[in-house]
Amino acid sequence: MPRETIPDGSFYMRVATLQSLTLALAGCVVLFSPRGVAQTDVETTIRFAPPKRIMAGDVFLGENRLYPSPAMHDVNGDGRADIVIGDLFGKVTVAPHTGKPMSYGAEEEVKDREGEQLKFHNW
Amino acid sequence: MGSQFVDFNADGHVDYLSATFDGSPHISYGSKGGFNEPVRLKDAQGQRILISSYWDYDERAHLKTDRALSKGNAPAERCISALAFDWDGDGDNDLLLGSYEKGHLYRQMNEGTNKEPKFTGKNLAVMAGKQPFALPAKMTTPRLVDWDGDGDMDLVAGSFGDSFGQSSVGGGVYLSRNNGAKGKPAFGKLETLIAPSAKGMTAPTRPDAGLYPEVVDYDGDGDLDLVVGGYSLWTPKGRELNAKEKAKVTALRAQLAALTGRRSKLLRKISAEVTEATVGLDPKSKEWRAKVKPIRAKYRPVEEERLAVSKQLKALVPGPQRRSFVWLYERL
Repeated sequence: MPRETIPDGSFYMRVATLQSLTLALAGCVVLFSPRGVAQTDVETTIRFAPPKRIMAGDVFLGENRLYPSPAMHDVNGDGRADIVIGDLFGKVTVAPHTGKPMSYGAEEEVKDREGEQLKFHNW
Repeated sequence: MGSQFVDFNADGHVDYLSATFDGSPHISYGSKGGFNEPVRLKDAQGQRILISSYWDYDERAHLKTDRALSKGNAPAERCISALAFDWDGDGDNDLLLGSYEKGHLYRQMNEGTNKEPKFTGKNLAVMAGKQPFALPAKMTTPRLVDWDGDGDMDLVAGSFGDSFGQSSVGGGVYLSRNNGAKGKPAFGKLETLIAPSAKGMTAPTRPDAGLYPEVVDYDGDGDLDLVVGGYSLWTPKGRELNAKEKAKVTALRAQLAALTGRRSKLLRKISAEVTEATVGLDPKSKEWRAKVKPIRAKYRPVEEERLAVSKQLKALVPGPQRRSFVWLYERL
């Protein structure tokens, strides 16, 4: 319906009401955001596809590790980045790149130069 | 622990820099033969680098010191992440230290060289805009990456959120762009890359808490994706129960509550008995272990009974799940 055909100005009232409600709602979101939600001021247009679990061989990468922390690095020197996983205990494993796109093998221990598992100190 | 692979000492071999919950950065120096045993990074005075809280291996306790911060009475903050970064563009690696508790980021300058570093022992707050860099809900690890392709390093960092609660707010991943120049980085306000999880799902759909990000062109399409480790928390949807099963659930829940209460009382009793029985004994001695073993053995039967009831209950009503995975967030 064209705006000018509403003689009582109800269209504009609706718009104004909608704007007020939107502002009030935005205010509530800011005021009552749960603890821990970032109060970021910068709008972002960065978007990602829904997340997918990465496999390491036949099992999920990092499954049941204590706070798994991934880092990409060519551990075996084949020119392809492997996925290194550190954890809260300080233990380090690697899922080697298989050579196929986005494909990684089963996790193995990362060894130090003495052949022992690389482990960072933790309490 | 976060991870950074970097030639820290400029010897031509990639080193492995990290920091753990002991509150200090550690480094495994690379060599022709591989990584060496990790060692703790020290400042120019020979003291371990830290923020304020740290695990003292001799005292076997979490302690706090104000020595690394310019103001006294520093808040208790533990360094659990570290990055090498030439902050002032003088050709050597300075350090970025991430705080677990407050999500703050500090820098500690290197007044030496990469081959002979002299870290000052004093931390300076990294700013994000006009405020100190502060990630909400505790920081896992920051990463350095040229996110926007302008030739300088931006920061991407993850947060913990509540790593245990099934309904409280979880962790997210954030971007702080470097709008400065070489030798004068200026990080901007946080942009949300992955919003904090609201949790409450019936299946693992994302990392909900303890989000450790890595930034990489995972699929080789020319843009940066996120690889994120973290915990998924979910409660599977149970099947419809008949009246008899519902009654059994009620009974099992009551039984479980009673056993849990009994277990708590028993644990307090065991603790008191251990204290009484081991007065004057070294906790590392055989005598101590011999005294403690039969006392602690009282716990197992009660716990086994409790677990058996819990198992019966879970067969009818699936319980909350918490499991870690690593996820790909492909950039669109």
